[in-house]
Amino acid sequence: MTMAPERTPFIRSDGKEKVTGAGRYTADLNLTGQLHAKFRYADHPHARILSIDTAAARALPGVFAVLTWEDVPDVLYGGSVNDRRLFAKEKVRWEGDIVAAVAARTADLAAEAAGLIDVRYEVLPPLTDFAANAEADAQLVHEAWADYEADENLGLSGNILGHSSIVKGDADAAMAGADVVVKSRYVADASQGAPIEPRAIVADWQGDKVTVWSSTQVPFAARSGIAHTLNIPESQVRIIVPLLGGGFGSKCDFHFEAHVAALARATRRPVKLVFSRREEFLAPDHRREGMIIELETGASRDGRLVARRGRLILDKGAYCGEGGFFAQMAAMHACGPYQIDAVNVDSYLNYSNQQPSGSIRAPTAPQACWALEQHMDELAAALEMDPAELRRRTLIGEGDEGPAGQVFEEIGAKQTLEAALDMIGYGRELPEDEAIGVACGWWPSFGVPSGAYVKLNRDGTGTIVTGAMESGTGAVMGLPLLAAEALGMKAEDFSILYQDTDAGPWDMGSSGSQTTFNNGRAVVEAATEVREKLLDLAADDLEVSRDDLVLADGTLSVKGSPDSSVTIATLAGSGEPILGKGSGDVPEAPAVDASGCVGRLGLESFLAPQLITQAARVKLDRDTGVIRVLEVAAAHDSGVIVNRIGADGQVYGGVLMGIGQALSEATWFDDEGRQLNPGLLDYKLQTASDAPEINIRWVEIDTPNAGPNGGKGVGEPPSVPTPGAIGNAIAKLVGRPIDRLPMTPERVWEAIHGGPEE
Amino acid sequence: MTHPITLRVNGVPYPLGVDAHATLLNVIRDQVALTGSKEGCDDSECGACMMLIDGQPVNSCSYLAVQADDTEVTTVEGLAPDDKLAPLQEAFLVEGAVQCGFCTPGMLISATCLLRDNPHPATDEVRIALSGNLCRCTGYDGIVRAVLDVAASRSADPRSIARPAVSRHER
Repeated sequence: MTMAPERTPFIRSDGKEKVTGAGRYTADLNLTGQLHAKFRYADHPHARILSIDTAAARALPGVFAVLTWEDVPDVLYGGSVNDRRLFAKEKVRWEGDIVAAVAARTADLAAEAAGLIDVRYEVLPPLTDFAANAEADAQLVHEAWADYEADENLGLSGNILGHSSIVKGDADAAMAGADVVVKSRYVADASQGAPIEPRAIVADWQGDKVTVWSSTQVPFAARSGIAHTLNIPESQVRIIVPLLGGGFGSKCDFHFEAHVAALARATRRPVKLVFSRREEFLAPDHRREGMIIELETGASRDGRLVARRGRLILDKGAYCGEGGFFAQMAAMHACGPYQIDAVNVDSYLNYSNQQPSGSIRAPTAPQACWALEQHMDELAAALEMDPAELRRRTLIGEGDEGPAGQVFEEIGAKQTLEAALDMIGYGRELPEDEAIGVACGWWPSFGVPSGAYVKLNRDGTGTIVTGAMESGTGAVMGLPLLAAEALGMKAEDFSILYQDTDAGPWDMGSSGSQTTFNNGRAVVEAATEVREKLLDLAADDLEVSRDDLVLADGTLSVKGSPDSSVTIATLAGSGEPILGKGSGDVPEAPAVDASGCVGRLGLESFLAPQLITQAARVKLDRDTGVIRVLEVAAAHDSGVIVNRIGADGQVYGGVLMGIGQALSEATWFDDEGRQLNPGLLDYKLQTASDAPEINIRWVEIDTPNAGPNGGKGVGEPPSVPTPGAIGNAIAKLVGRPIDRLPMTPERVWEAIHGGPEE
Repeated sequence: MTHPITLRVNGVPYPLGVDAHATLLNVIRDQVALTGSKEGCDDSECGACMMLIDGQPVNSCSYLAVQADDTEVTTVEGLAPDDKLAPLQEAFLVEGAVQCGFCTPGMLISATCLLRDNPHPATDEVRIALSGNLCRCTGYDGIVRAVLDVAASRSADPRSIARPAVSRHER
C-alpha cells in the first residue's frame, strides 16, 4: 500500500472561463430567429388518452408549431426495453409524460399555448405501489409489454421489467447451520440528482442536418436517440455540449433533444428549451429509485458469514430508459464487498406510474449499501462483536471469492477500513450525544470502448480530440496530464476539443465513473502513436537510431550528447502532420461461475472494483431528532490517482451528496404519484453550513485490469457508503437502526420516542 | 408597456426599456447580454443568480429590474475588470472550488461581499455566509478553503489587498 504524495495542484483548463462568467452553458446561447419551446405534460399520472385538440393553441398569435404523436414517426425507443414514444399516444404513464410540444415567439406564449391544448382522458387507477405491481392480478403499466423489443437477459414479464438473482452454493442449508441469524427490512425513498443547472436544449436545422446544443452527459446517446426517433441518419445529427452545469447521472440518457429538433424542423427556425427548476424535478426520466431491501445473514460465532439471503424490490417507474441493469446492480450491493460462503439474492425491478428511475451517481448502491451496512451492524450486535472487527474479518481480500465466484486480485478493501478507522479515531471517548458509524462499499469500473486523437500543432503544442464528456468532475480536464506524460510535454501545452459528436470518436459519455478508466487509456494510446512518429522523424533528422533518443521537456535529444537535439516544435513545424489515434484495449470482465444466476447482464462480477470505507461522527439532538454530521473519514481504493485535486473534489462532493441522501433528500409523492416537493426549498440539498469536516485518504494499489497508470474510477463511489455510515452512528445513539431512508428528524424522533412504525 | 430605466452594470451605464415584471436577472442576461449570472431556480433557493446592487448581494431572479433603476449592479463579469483574475477567482481555481462552475458566479459574488464586510472571517462565518449559494459538485470544501486563503494572504501582505471591484460602486 502506498499513500498518495502531495502533487502540485493542476488547474483545470476550463477554470478561467468559469470564474469570470465568460463560459457558455446551453441556456446562455441564443440564435437569430430563435423560438422558445414548452411542453404539455400529462394531466394525470395514469390515464388513457381519448383525444387531443390543439386548435386553440395553434390559433394563438406568435405560436409557430404544436406537435403531438401524430407529427413524428411512430417509433418506440428506450434503453434495454423500447417501451416509450416521444409523445404519449394511447396512455400517459406518469406525470412527466409529454403529450404535446409548442414552439412560440416567447417562452411565456409557448406556456400559454401549451395550456390551451385540450386533452381528454379516461383516468385510470394510479399504479404507484411498485411492490404490489408484481402481483399476478395487478393492472399493467404497459399492456403491450410482450410486444416490446427488450434485452432478453432482463426477464421482462408484465410489470416486472427485470429480475436478477445471484446464487452461490446452497444458502438455505448454510443458513440452517448458522450459529446466529439476523433478518432486517429497510425501505429507501426515491431521490434526485438535482444538478444546479436546469437542462437546456437549442436545435437548429441547416438543410437536412440538425445541430443540437444540449446539456446532456451523453452526447452520443443523444445523437442516436434523435436519429432513431426522427428516422434520420446519425451523420445528419450533430450534438454539441457547451459547458455542462453538473449532471450526477440525471442528464444521462436521451431525453428531450428530439422534441426540440422536431419543433425546429416544423418551424424552420432555431428552437430553444430551458427547464424551470420545477420541470427539472418533474420531467426527466431520471431519479434515484425507491427500494425495499430484505436481508438475512447467518454467521458463525467467530464472525464468518456463512449465508446471505436477500430480496430486493426496486421502483423503475413508468419506463425503462438506461436503467435496465438496476436489479442486478442492487443484488451485488446486497452482497457487498464481503466473503460470504453461500448467497441467494433475488432482485426485482418493477414498473409503476411514478417518475422513471435512471442512473443517479452510483445507481442502487447508496440505498442497498445503507441497508446492508446497518444489517451488518445488527449482526455484529447479535454476535456481541465490534462492528469494525466483524468487517475486518469478512471484507474481501486477494484470492477471496465474490458472490458469483469472481476471484479477487490485489484489492484495498481492508486497507480502506483501517485507514478510515485511524482517521476518525475509532474507539475514542465521545460525548453521550455523539457516535461514530462505519460502512464499507464497492463499485465496479466499467470497461467500454472509447476513443481519442492527439495531434501536434506547428508551435509544438498539442490538441486532444476526444469523444469524452466533461460534466464538471474534471475527468476530461485531466486528460492532458496523461498525454503530456507520454510525450515529454507539459499538460498546459494541450488544448482539448470535446463534447462535439462531429469531432471526437464515440464515447459512452459522463457516466459510470469511466472517463479516466477508458478514455484515459485511449489518450495514452493516441499519444504513444504520436511519440512513435516523433521518434521516427527525429531519428531521420539527427541521423541516429531511435533507440538512442530521449524525449523530455519538448525536445528529442541523443543520449549522452544533449547538444544533438531537435525540438517537438521544429518537427511539428515542418508541416508533416503528426497525429495519433487510440482506443486502448478494454479490460476483460473477471471470470465467474454464474450458472445459478438469472437475469445476467454482466454485472454479477466487478471489473477492477473500487473499495470504500467511510466513518461518520454524528451528533443527535434527542428533543428534535435532528442529526448533524460532524466529521466524515473517507478512505478509497480508486487505484493510482491521476489528478489529486480532481479526485479529492469527487470525494468532497460525493460525501456531501451522500449526507443529503442520508438525512434530507427524498422525492415525496401523493397517492396518485404526483411529486409533492419539486423545488429546492422542500427538496433540501446540503448547504455550506451543513457540511462537516471531510478527511480523505487514498489507498493507491496498482490493481490488475485498472485503467491508465493503474487508475480506476472515482466519481460515483464516494456517495455509496455515506448513508450507511451515518445510519450506523444514529443507530448507536437511538438504540436501533432507522429503517427508512432518508433518516429525517421525524423518523429519528419517532424511533427515539416510540412513534408509529411506518 | 416598457419602463425606461438606467442600470450601471460593472461601471457601464445601460439605458433600457424593461417590462414591469421583468426580473433583474433576465434583463441582465437578455438585454445587457451578460450571461455569467445563472438561473438555477428562479425562486431565491440556489443563489446562482446572485449580484450586488449598490454593494448589497441580491438574488437577481427575485428582484425586479425596475427596482434596480439608477443603481450600480456588479455581476461576476465585474470581478475581474482588467482581464486579470481577482485573488478570489485565482484561489477558487487553485483550491478546486470549481467543478461544473454553474454555482461559481453567485458563489464568487457572495464570497466577495463577505470578505469586504468581514476581511478575516472564521471558518464557520464563511460557511454561514455562503449557505445561500447551493453547490452540488464540490461539497463546499474547496470553496471555503479558497475564501480563507484569500483572507489569510491579505493579512500577510496588506499591500496585496486589491479593493474588491464592488467597493468602487459603494455610495
